[in-house]
Amino acid sequence: MSDGSQTAAAAGTLLATSRRRRPSLARAARAGVPYALIAPVAAVIGAVLGYPVYWLVRLSTEQYGLFELIQHKGIPVGLRNFRSVLHDQVFWHTLLRTVVFTAVNVALTMVLGMAIALLLARVRTPVRVLLSSGLVLVWSMPVVVAVQVWYWMTNFENGVLNYALTKLHVGNYMQHDWYASTTSQLAMVTSLIVWGALPFVVITLYAGLAQVPGDLLEAAEVDGARSWMIFRDITLPILRPIILILTSLSIIWDFGVFTQPYLLIGQSRIGPANYLMSVYLFEEGYFKSDFGRGAAISILMLAIVAVLSVVYVRRMVRIGEATA
Amino acid sequence: MKRRIILALCLVAAVSAAVATTTSGATRKASAASITVWLQVDAQNSWPDLVAAANQQFQSAHPGVKVNVQYQNWGDHLQKFDAALAGGGGPDVIEMGNTEMTKYMAAGAFADLSSAKSTFDNSANWLKGLAASARYGGKTYGVPYYAGSRVITYRTDLFSKAGIKKLPTSTAQYVADAKRLFAHNKKKGFSPLYIAGTDWYFAMGFVFDYGGGIATQVSGKWKGLLASKQSIAGLTAYKNFWNAVSRASKTTDEAHPNPYDVYAQGLAASIEGPSWFTCCVGKKYASLTKQFVMPGHVAGQALPGFLGGSDLAVPVTSQNKALATDWIRDFTSTQIEKGLQAKGNIPNATNLLGNSVNERAASRSWFVPTAKHWVDVENGNILRNMLAQILTGKLSVKQAAQSASDNIASVLNQP
Amino acid sequence: MRRRRARRQLAWDAVGVAVFAVMVFPVFWMVTTAFKSNDEIVSLTPSWLPLHPTLQHFRDAMHRPYFWTDVKNSLVVVLASVSISIVLAFLAAVALARYRFGGRKAVVVLIIGIQMLPQAGLVIPLYVVLARYHESNALTGLVITYLTFVLPFCVWTLRGFLIGIPRELEEAAMVDGSTRLGVFLKILLPLMAPGLVATSVFAFITTWNEYIFARILLNDQSKQTITVWLSYFLGSSRHTDYGALMAASTLTAIPVVVFFLLVQRRIAFGLTAGAVRG
Repeated sequence: MSDGSQTAAAAGTLLATSRRRRPSLARAARAGVPYALIAPVAAVIGAVLGYPVYWLVRLSTEQYGLFELIQHKGIPVGLRNFRSVLHDQVFWHTLLRTVVFTAVNVALTMVLGMAIALLLARVRTPVRVLLSSGLVLVWSMPVVVAVQVWYWMTNFENGVLNYALTKLHVGNYMQHDWYASTTSQLAMVTSLIVWGALPFVVITLYAGLAQVPGDLLEAAEVDGARSWMIFRDITLPILRPIILILTSLSIIWDFGVFTQPYLLIGQSRIGPANYLMSVYLFEEGYFKSDFGRGAAISILMLAIVAVLSVVYVRRMVRIGEATA
Repeated sequence: MKRRIILALCLVAAVSAAVATTTSGATRKASAASITVWLQVDAQNSWPDLVAAANQQFQSAHPGVKVNVQYQNWGDHLQKFDAALAGGGGPDVIEMGNTEMTKYMAAGAFADLSSAKSTFDNSANWLKGLAASARYGGKTYGVPYYAGSRVITYRTDLFSKAGIKKLPTSTAQYVADAKRLFAHNKKKGFSPLYIAGTDWYFAMGFVFDYGGGIATQVSGKWKGLLASKQSIAGLTAYKNFWNAVSRASKTTDEAHPNPYDVYAQGLAASIEGPSWFTCCVGKKYASLTKQFVMPGHVAGQALPGFLGGSDLAVPVTSQNKALATDWIRDFTSTQIEKGLQAKGNIPNATNLLGNSVNERAASRSWFVPTAKHWVDVENGNILRNMLAQILTGKLSVKQAAQSASDNIASVLNQP
Repeated sequence: MRRRRARRQLAWDAVGVAVFAVMVFPVFWMVTTAFKSNDEIVSLTPSWLPLHPTLQHFRDAMHRPYFWTDVKNSLVVVLASVSISIVLAFLAAVALARYRFGGRKAVVVLIIGIQMLPQAGLVIPLYVVLARYHESNALTGLVITYLTFVLPFCVWTLRGFLIGIPRELEEAAMVDGSTRLGVFLKILLPLMAPGLVATSVFAFITTWNEYIFARILLNDQSKQTITVWLSYFLGSSRHTDYGALMAASTLTAIPVVVFFLLVQRRIAFGLTAGAVRG
């Protein structure tokens, strides 16, 4: 009972978290603990990724094709790979297209995700279990199969999308080819990716919502606050770390997405007009077996994604620093 | 309580994972006398008995040597091969598509089999197209495995209902037959001969039929041939033929949709493609389906067909090259080739050729330029884009051909 | 008043069911296709439900070589990856969210940085590394690979959840006389439950569906995972048996759903716990 009132009091000061310094006595004794906690993760990642990352960096400065791969020896060429990529018009067009694509995808995913998470919190338990199980079903579908189903649903010959749109009198969409123009192609890819990304975002946001103390919400309701005010002033600040994480992760994933665009648009229609960065990387680097160039593009992609997500990452890091 | 159960399950899983891999580790060390063979999953699906027979033959000559056949997918077997070339642990025998060979031969990925060539069954009579794909710089790096050609699969009932008594022996005759088929089949989207717009395997047959070509090497440099007079004549003939017989989408490829699906829906009187198309024409039309050889523009002559196929090679990283070569010899023996022929494939030598539609279609065949960078031309969809531009009328035949020809030459001439 | 509330609740429930229907439609399509005959799959007019349902595709799928073996392999790899990564990641997340130490910021940046690496570029060198330690073509090699890619994500996410839990709760409990471990078990873990569940479900699904590394690293068909087994349906140069592929995919989705149903109650637990405390 005393536990309860103290936690309630503690929770009540949530909105006004002050930065407190921990007592220094305890600190000395605990100096080694964090390092011990981090050590296993660092060890696994370091042991496995150390060489590959080094290899990637080294290869980006070498001429390394199939011949060199077999010989296990590349020819150092300095920054030639980088120069060739940066001078490639296709690279810049693809970059712009991918940035826009990422922005659209992330925005749709986060907005829809938040909406559905709030919905999950609103409905009664049976519906909640139904909806969350449905989301996990979506999540569990292998990407290759999802692409195939998407193709069946959207193909111009006998896809249900055309059929449904025509029946609902939205227009005459019979035999409409959704893959005729780049915008249309990428719109189809976007729908597939957002659909596949929603389950994770929704479930994580819902888990975050679960951390919002119910009594706080009730107190605010009793006080007469409207639901969107409650959302803005109580829920959103608590969810902020999770939202920042999901946004930064979504940016990283959507920027580098490969399987969906490559398979849905199809080998025969993929080209510089509809390249996304990872498809460009695959085509220019790995398909042509020009591993040096592929490594250079990988590093450029890494740099670009870092720049794109820096705002969110920095905020996330700062929040962590603040509450420690 | 539940948490504990889940934790226990996880521990069990982790332990069994460890056990599973330590036992596999043990077998790995004991299998010093074994060879690894990479065949495509087509073999596992369609002729596993032939693989077993070859293994038996091999093991009777090499008792104690295990044959470890690992089936691969066409989509990513080259990626796996690249990783194996880089890190070891690759196969001793690998099946390669005939269009995939040149790039790897140029990079020195395969062992030289020239000295062993005469020891393979029927090597003196290997199909020209396949044998060419396994040769580079005058040396032989692969053994032809099997081939496939393209034929016309057609509805006997629709043809007879339209009054077509004799199968067409020239493209002009086919066009006339198409008019009759249209007259008797008013369904929307129906094609007398369904050809996907960007099906370059079929379209290039016209180019070669008129004496043209894709590219040729002149004193070490590649020169594009698509803009030559003959090639343009072929492409123009193709455009006219296509407009007369096909109502397919002009920009789609030959897998979206699958021609046999269109056939099964009743929207095609005939389709062109590999001979195994008969597998999937739907229950309704299975008994009403036969095949014939696609004719060229000269009466009585077949349209040159694309000869697809596979070769078997020994990667240079193999530690058992002699054993690998022996296995290939057993797997391409006359007996096995006859077995492959019985399954509907084209065997690897002319003296084994029979009289099936598939094999007759191979009598006139064409192949892609054996250039290191040919796969880049294919992957860049240069030919597909050219066909789409021609059929939609976006560019004239001459313009489209010229631009494709220049494109191809620049890609092939890359260092 | 109560009736209005009840009606509003019904409206929300209806919206929930509608969202469910829209999201699940492609899955529904996959499952019904698994029961349709081949002619129906190809037919020009799409049919919502199979007219003559057949179990043939399921039989074909399960009879393909190595089905059960590969299911077992997938389960082993995934359960091992998930359990190890959740434990290790949680420890690391605690360190990053609750302790100050030198180099902490660098570790956080590195964690997020690793996730920005395009995985395609790492496949070949990773294979080379594992081959050197005889871990290529081994399930443990695959587990280690999966850990490497799942850990950063888990650490990053769990750190986020931990940050969301106010320090004051722990400090209040410690003032009450509880030990550090007590705080951990009685306060932190229950509040972290939703986050742990969400993260473990993500780790489960990611590793379950992972294809590229499983394909490249595992050679023996007896050691492959179920995603590689699925790829063989699409790997032939001949026709693809879509009915069997859909049946196979339906089968492979089952363990994931089962895992989720087992753990999903934990997410709700946190929600109700908060309400009860008032």
